[in-house]
Amino acid sequence: MNWKLPFDIPLITPTLGLPLEFFSILGIIVFVVHICFIYMLIGASTASVIYNIMGVFKKDSNYDKFAYRMTNYTTVSENMGALWGVAPLLVISVLFTGFFYTAILKVSPHILHIIYGNIIAFLLSYAYKFSWHALQNHKGFHIAIGLSAVLAFFTLPFVFMSMTNLYMQPELFATINNIWDIMFTPVTGFRLLNFFLTAFMATGVVMIFIGARWVKKGEIEVGKIAISQGKKWFLLATPLNIVVMPLLPFVFTARISEALMHTGFIYLPFISSILLIIAFLYVLNKFNDEVVTPQTALRAIALVVVSIFLMATTREGVRVVSFAEPLALQAQATSEFMNASIAEYKKYKEELANKPAMDLKNPVILAESKGCLACHSVDVKLVGPSYLEVSNKERNKDVLIHSIQYGSANKYDVIPMPAQDITADEALILVDWILSLKDTNK
Amino acid sequence: MFDYPIFEMPFIGQRMLMAINAIIHVFVSHGGAVGGSIVLAAMAWWANKKNDMAAYNLTFKVVMVFFIVSTSVGALTGVGMWIHANILSPNAIGGLIRVFFWKWFIEWIVFNFEVVLLLLLFMSWKKNQETAQGRAKTIRIGVYYAISSWLTMVIITAILAFMLTPNFDGQPWVDPEVYPGNVNYNNALFNPTWWPSLAFRTFTSIAFAAALAIMWTWIIATFSKNEEDKEAKARLVKFLAGIMLITVPISAIFGYWYYTEIPAAALAMIPTAVMTRAFEDRFDLMYLIAIGIGGSIIITTIIAYFSPKRMPYLAASLMVAGFLVLWGYEERVREFIRKPFLIYNYMYSNGIRVTDVPYLNKVGILEHAVFLDENKKRVNEDKSNIIEVGKSVFQIECRICHTQNGINGLKGLTTGWSHDAIRNRLNNLPGGGTPYMPPFVGTEAEKDALAAYIKSLNTKGVIK
Repeated sequence: MNWKLPFDIPLITPTLGLPLEFFSILGIIVFVVHICFIYMLIGASTASVIYNIMGVFKKDSNYDKFAYRMTNYTTVSENMGALWGVAPLLVISVLFTGFFYTAILKVSPHILHIIYGNIIAFLLSYAYKFSWHALQNHKGFHIAIGLSAVLAFFTLPFVFMSMTNLYMQPELFATINNIWDIMFTPVTGFRLLNFFLTAFMATGVVMIFIGARWVKKGEIEVGKIAISQGKKWFLLATPLNIVVMPLLPFVFTARISEALMHTGFIYLPFISSILLIIAFLYVLNKFNDEVVTPQTALRAIALVVVSIFLMATTREGVRVVSFAEPLALQAQATSEFMNASIAEYKKYKEELANKPAMDLKNPVILAESKGCLACHSVDVKLVGPSYLEVSNKERNKDVLIHSIQYGSANKYDVIPMPAQDITADEALILVDWILSLKDTNK
Repeated sequence: MFDYPIFEMPFIGQRMLMAINAIIHVFVSHGGAVGGSIVLAAMAWWANKKNDMAAYNLTFKVVMVFFIVSTSVGALTGVGMWIHANILSPNAIGGLIRVFFWKWFIEWIVFNFEVVLLLLLFMSWKKNQETAQGRAKTIRIGVYYAISSWLTMVIITAILAFMLTPNFDGQPWVDPEVYPGNVNYNNALFNPTWWPSLAFRTFTSIAFAAALAIMWTWIIATFSKNEEDKEAKARLVKFLAGIMLITVPISAIFGYWYYTEIPAAALAMIPTAVMTRAFEDRFDLMYLIAIGIGGSIIITTIIAYFSPKRMPYLAASLMVAGFLVLWGYEERVREFIRKPFLIYNYMYSNGIRVTDVPYLNKVGILEHAVFLDENKKRVNEDKSNIIEVGKSVFQIECRICHTQNGINGLKGLTTGWSHDAIRNRLNNLPGGGTPYMPPFVGTEAEKDALAAYIKSLNTKGVIK
């Protein structure tokens, strides 16, 4: 296989002596929290726009109220989602530095959309939320703001998923050269499909739960809307997801899919699907109940969360089997490079220590050490004039010393000489030498 | 840097790409989050203590502005710092994360408190404002929010200070001759500029946030239809100007302490850092500018304090603009004086570790550049690909600071230079008045190729 991998960072990994499995589990937990907030963000922002529109058409203020309340869920989940996204990034950056950064570089600059696009989406979602009452009589405009926020949020998974798919399949580093190469592939398409279906599914059960809570608190009308709509979201999104999930392990490269089949991870998506079938039948059974209890909703939520957790564990399994080989290759290459580099550095330091001290009274050595020869030579014009040319043109020592110490411009060429860090005595040694050049060439 | 894929940012260059994100983040995180949280908590406490409900309600409107900007622009540009650093210098940020992983992890936990408390403060304000107990609760949340915001600054300042002064004398943070490098985490964390820069940042943040709050109080009250807001404006502005009168002198004192801890070699870079290369010998202009901006901030503050009602039209926004200029410069100087290093004495600005230089000079910088095409790594016998090879060297060593023909473009910098002049200049990049440049790293053949490539930028008819 044509592996193209960067070296590892040559500093010890600060694991505190904990096994890598600890970081895997930590990674899964923080990722599940992050992704649940993101599912909720996608779902709540979409729901808020849909029920705002329905409120207008049905002329029912309860829909409007429901839609407005969903913006609180958007606000909380966008903030918490972004925050909990940082923890997985941190864990990945420290453990799999080279692979993660290579993937980021390969999809640059488009990856920056997750920063700047996200800022725009945040601001639009705030504009939508905080202008709700002020734009009560301009619903078309208001809905347009909400829709732009939703569209902006929807673009982000495309970019982020492309990056993670590249990162998880290091064999692609040799062939993928920009974001589009990885975005329009079955692996990204399939995983995005699963992502959006899970987002709507999860939002559905959460809507049932909050509806049940509202009914309990006595807000019957708006609660009933949330329950009935939540059930529809869940029942529509789940069946396709049940089919998609067991297929997900097989969309990665053949090397990864095959390796995964020899591990227990391969069973998890099937178990996950079975849990969703149970949840689906459970909610279907309650379809005709206008009101459900929060406990009922919590049971469905628990099944969905466990299924999300199993899928996140599968994802970690893909990472584990995928990275085993390249990590070993990388460690070996890094060790070879570093040993060769350190040996050469020690040799260089030894040579430096054995070198006799420089005779700074010698003008040639002084000129070299002060960097003069970067721009000047004795007889050829380089960046600045040759010393010969200088000695033929200017014979005044004070002028020359001043030029060296404070810089000089527009005497020979358009390129000015900057001021040099040099004492007047040192400058005098150089000037004497430069002026002597003319005599020797007479 | 040679072992990663190459991403070139055309025209504006890599540095400017990072700078855009960094400057936005510094303004919002310092003024909006860290200083903002402290100032907002103080405003709420003061208005409640004086039983001044008009000022308390006006404070909420200011909180709302800070909430929107901090949680969107502030938080995301913070993550953006990482992503931009990945793009610019994966080796540097990767190294920093190896050294500071657990500190960053702790910072993330504190971030949780910060974000949750800010959400709580904002979303429960209206519900809590009716009763005295409710308001006391809001103020308590505000104080906790301020503490957690400040704690995040404590940690990130340590990392920034580490990049400038990673070592104590005789107490190195790592032995560069050992692989894998065994990091001394305590020496890395307790580096000499951590405390002074933290003290300086804390008080300037508060002063900056007070200026921002004055501006927003002024804007909100001016456009408010509520008479109470207009009448509460002067009282709040006076209180905020009082905060500035205290914090501005304290910032100056800590700023001086910070200055004294900076290594001498880094101090020598300040004139170029402040005045840019074109004006580096007009350092006197800097004093004029600093006195001008600093003076106008102080004068507006004094007017705001003693005569808040007569505070000149737009003076508040000018004061904020003054802060932005000073702070933008402070950040530029801090980033610049570290040159030619990214991590002082350990890694050059272009991501090449100091200890790797002798080896790379022997085998060549392109030898291990796995992501480059083979035909762009070594010059052919007939030298037909010399410019491509030179471009590869440029992309690895130079592009972090230079573009081809944009900001700090090599084309403009070498107009009129002969091939020999360029070739000779590469022999001594840190000399010749540019001590902030790292040395050329690589073989003589690679140096020839780079010179040929740079020359080709100014040669008509050469396909680049």
